[in-house]
Amino acid sequence: MRKRRRLRWRDLPLAVKVLFQVSMVALVLFSTNILMYWQMNNMMRSLDSVYASNVNLTELAESLEAVQTDMYNYLTVKTSDSLESYYRSEEKYRNLLEQLNEQVMENPVKLLEKNIRKMSETYLDYTAETVLAKRGRNVEKYKGYYADTLQMYRYLNSYISDLNVQQFKNNSSSYQALQSAIQYMEVVSTVMLVLMMGVCILMLFYMVKGVVAPLTGMAATANLVGQANFNVKMPPTDAEDEVGVVTRAFNTMVSSLEEYMKLTKENMEKEQEMMERELLMETHLKEAQLKYLQSQINPHFLFNSLNAGAQLAMMEDAEKTCIFVERMADFFRYNVKKGSEDATLMEEVEAVENYVYILNVRFAGEIHYTDEVDESVLDCKVPSMILQPLVENAVNHGIRNIEWEGTIRLRVKRDGDVIRISVKDNGKGMSADRIEQVLNGEVQSEESPGDSTGIGMHNVISRLELYYKQKNLLMIRSEGENQGTEVIITIPDMQPGE
Amino acid sequence: MKKKRKIGKEIWLMLLAAFIAVLFFLLMTSYYRNIMKKAGVSANEMNQIYQYQYEMIVDSRNITFWQDVYKNAQKEALEHGAVLELRGVENSEDYDKADYMDMSIAAQVDGIILEYNGEEGLQEKIDEAVGKGIPVVTIVNDAPRSMRQSFVGINDYQLGQVYGAEVANLMDANTSRVLVLLNREQELGQNQLYAQIYSAVEAKAGSDRKIKIQSQNVMSRSQFDAEEVIRDIFQSEEGPPEILVCLDEVTTECAYQAMIDYNMVGEVKIIGYYISKTIVDAVSKGLLPVTLSMDVEQIGTYSIEALTEYWEVGRSNSYYTVDLQVITRENWKQQEN
Repeated sequence: MRKRRRLRWRDLPLAVKVLFQVSMVALVLFSTNILMYWQMNNMMRSLDSVYASNVNLTELAESLEAVQTDMYNYLTVKTSDSLESYYRSEEKYRNLLEQLNEQVMENPVKLLEKNIRKMSETYLDYTAETVLAKRGRNVEKYKGYYADTLQMYRYLNSYISDLNVQQFKNNSSSYQALQSAIQYMEVVSTVMLVLMMGVCILMLFYMVKGVVAPLTGMAATANLVGQANFNVKMPPTDAEDEVGVVTRAFNTMVSSLEEYMKLTKENMEKEQEMMERELLMETHLKEAQLKYLQSQINPHFLFNSLNAGAQLAMMEDAEKTCIFVERMADFFRYNVKKGSEDATLMEEVEAVENYVYILNVRFAGEIHYTDEVDESVLDCKVPSMILQPLVENAVNHGIRNIEWEGTIRLRVKRDGDVIRISVKDNGKGMSADRIEQVLNGEVQSEESPGDSTGIGMHNVISRLELYYKQKNLLMIRSEGENQGTEVIITIPDMQPGE
Repeated sequence: MKKKRKIGKEIWLMLLAAFIAVLFFLLMTSYYRNIMKKAGVSANEMNQIYQYQYEMIVDSRNITFWQDVYKNAQKEALEHGAVLELRGVENSEDYDKADYMDMSIAAQVDGIILEYNGEEGLQEKIDEAVGKGIPVVTIVNDAPRSMRQSFVGINDYQLGQVYGAEVANLMDANTSRVLVLLNREQELGQNQLYAQIYSAVEAKAGSDRKIKIQSQNVMSRSQFDAEEVIRDIFQSEEGPPEILVCLDEVTTECAYQAMIDYNMVGEVKIIGYYISKTIVDAVSKGLLPVTLSMDVEQIGTYSIEALTEYWEVGRSNSYYTVDLQVITRENWKQQEN
């Protein structure tokens, strides 16, 4: 494309363009004027060629008179001075004659000039003869010649005056013609100049408009872009002038803006997606853990086996074992069955009791568990598996490994239209920071899940919030280290059938 | 596309500007041509150079006859590379034909066409001009004894015969006097004319009847002479003649006017000369029975032809006969145009 740099109009800088246009208009006007002057001059020249004569008739007549007078003087006195002055005037007269036309023409002035010239030549011949005769003292001859010169002199004078009259006539008619021509020219020139001016103004208008048009278009487009419409663009141009450069830059800018906007949007979307995926993954992980746990033993086989164990114990009269195995079977059945269903408070409390019994069998009655349950709220629906994890927490983090006798107290009671459930231990207690961390879910269950049902505090909180669509349902209270911990759940009273 | 349209507009405007300029140019040029036309001829024509310069010297250049002769001769001259000037005696203060001959000789013209009138010294001037190499052609009236190159016209013998026939034609029982108004110095040619008329009258009248044939010279010695002389004739004691023969335009017009003024229509029969508007009018009304006229076109053509031939061939015919037309009430219409 750029193999040959041709100078194109649209590549010129704006200043040059405008300069060019203005000077073109000026040139048009100037040439109009020149044309007018040329016409005028032409006409005057033509008129001149018809009429004018560049002969100074007065001078001619005076010179002629001088010749005649000088010859007369010479004839009268015959001094060498007078002869010399005669020759001088003759010379001068001859020079003047040189200006006269000597061609035969139809033009009366020119023809008269020719006549005068020829006649003057004859006259000068006569005067020369006269002078010669005088010098030769040929009296008769020079007198005769003198008469001839006199006659010729008369003729010449009348011709010169004829010429004068003719010239005067011509000059006046020339003047008249010129005057009317100038008047006509004035009118025509004025009309033409006005027309030209109009045309030039129009021309300039269109030219400037042509230069400014891309700018105007760009202003409009920029306005649209300002209103966040990135689909508009200037028509592409390869002009090298300022407007072309700005246009291309503008187009580039618009498309970069658009791309940038798209990119930002994409990034945001990606981020969102990633966050969602992360969450999902966590959930899935949990679910997988659960599924894993669940799938490790076929629960029914386990329960049936446990039932079989219980019956075996009964048959062997090992009553305690029988009860233990039965409770264990109950606990796990509940755990499995209610994993994804709602439960009643009574079922929850039973599950806690079974859990504590199992623990007490495991840890030889170390846990002193008491419960204080308002009978009227036992039918209340709650999400399953919310109390057991609290008790498990109280056991694992509260009273395990303490020097003194550990107690856990479960209290369920109605308080107005809410139900307050409290799990209180007298264990190690928690610092305020720790409480904060637990409530915000910042503490993940880092300890091995092997000794746990796998449902952490945070899980409980989340499920409560999801279930009741409220926040701050769970509260943790602790007086300080070794002062025990109380976890309080406040839930709306949701009796079935109410 | 849009841009192209705009450029198109600019080009249109430029074309418009050019169009205006051209229009202006044309307007000015046509106007200028017009001016030149008004000035007579265009510069080129006016200043065209011709080879020869001829002069035509006549008595009164303002009368129709000479104007017509000059017009034709000038046209002919221009066609043959010459310029012709007309000089008439009456329009300049105190120059006679000899003076004009002098001037033409001094101005070294290339040819002189002269209406010879027998003026004193004129014949010598003809000889002087010819001696200096300037050809002289006499027209209408001849100077047979001069050294003139050619004569264009009709000779007195023929002219006399035609006049004689017309006079004889007009004679009736009352005719007792015929007056011939001559317009030039008495000389041989003139006598020829007179003699022919005389013999014609005599032949018609027979030997027993005496008819007086007189002649009078009305050539203007000074201005307005002819008119006075003719008035005198009409007022003379014996009264005007029955037949008046005029040999030129001015004489004819004067005689005609005098006849009307003195209420002598019918009593005086005028044989006129030439076909000026007044004369043709009179003929058409029957006030002038007849007028004779030389063919003006032929005069012009032949005189220029004679000069051209002189310069180109070195010699020319010494005599060119011009047709003589007789115009009466019956055939005047042909002369109108």
